[in-house]
Amino acid sequence: MTHHRDIGADPPDEYVEAEIHRLLAEDPAVAEQGITVVRRERALVLYGEVESPHRREEILRRVSERFPDVPITSDIGVIRAQAPTEIEQLP
Amino acid sequence: MVIRIAAVGDVHLDEDVVGRFRPALEELPECADVLLLAGDLTRHGTEAEARCVAEEFGGLAVPVVTVLGNHDHQCDQVPQVVKVLQDAGITVLEGNGVVLDCAGGRLGIAGVKGFGGGFAGRCASDFGEPEMKAFVRTTTDSADRLGAALRSLDCDMLVALTHYSPVPDTLAGEPLEIYPFLGSYQLGQAIDSAPTALALHGHAHAGTERGTTPGGVRVRNVAHPVIKQAYSVFHVGDQLDTDQVSPIGQSGIQRSWS
Ligand SMILES: [Fe+2]
Ligand SMILES: [Fe+2]
Repeated sequence: MTHHRDIGADPPDEYVEAEIHRLLAEDPAVAEQGITVVRRERALVLYGEVESPHRREEILRRVSERFPDVPITSDIGVIRAQAPTEIEQLP
Repeated sequence: MVIRIAAVGDVHLDEDVVGRFRPALEELPECADVLLLAGDLTRHGTEAEARCVAEEFGGLAVPVVTVLGNHDHQCDQVPQVVKVLQDAGITVLEGNGVVLDCAGGRLGIAGVKGFGGGFAGRCASDFGEPEMKAFVRTTTDSADRLGAALRSLDCDMLVALTHYSPVPDTLAGEPLEIYPFLGSYQLGQAIDSAPTALALHGHAHAGTERGTTPGGVRVRNVAHPVIKQAYSVFHVGDQLDTDQVSPIGQSGIQRSWS
């Protein structure tokens, strides 16, 4: 006996992933192309690095707003902007 | 004699980032002759965001030279963005070059944004639908203009500045499937058509720092998320003897940190 997915049930995770990925790039409030969406057992996890804490919060807010039923956690870092301590010699 | 080059790309500025780079930028005159920006200066390419870039990277004690990135094209305000940057004293390159007099010699910089297309054997072809041909021709035109600009400069040391990558080496860490959107081999071919000493690019946020063109020119991905500091500094030796320009052909991961 085969099980069929109910019409109108939640979309398969892969499409959700694709949609989140597009949202991150195309939503003007986010505009990030460097965020990875990884499927874990209990949630989708967002990885990557952004330029400010504000952007990190905004990403989580926009994604949860658009997919209120999908459990999402984020492990996004803010890129350091200190002066370099080493130089590279290219003879 | 040595020319000291500071570089960063993909700073993606907007109001929320203004001021973050400035303390490190104030130290530039002590450690570099020039600052090169490898595109994606803004988030969406608006005039307002360009003013943030002007505020953060303008009025520095070293010359600043940039190319634009794909993000700087998003809102179709390229002429306004370029004007704001130029008014702040930043030189914007697209298919042309500039020669700067540095203590270590005349530094020539040629720049284009570049485009995707992919790398030898795994790239898009100028064939089929008009959309596909337009895609490939955008890359080819851009590479042709980079090559012509590089060959036109009269200088002691030549640097190529792009947003898209000229080699796959510096993309390591990105999914293989998106390499054709991150750069193209034609840019590498253009860089190899001149005695280029160093090629700098950004765009590949998850890539790696070091690579080499097939012709042996050193390539560095200076995207901010890759270098994880305000900018990287390269000391490039005297390249007057072109035999010395491309001796590093064996490995893309040669390290010579001091
Ligand atoms: Fe970028
Ligand atoms: Fe980019």
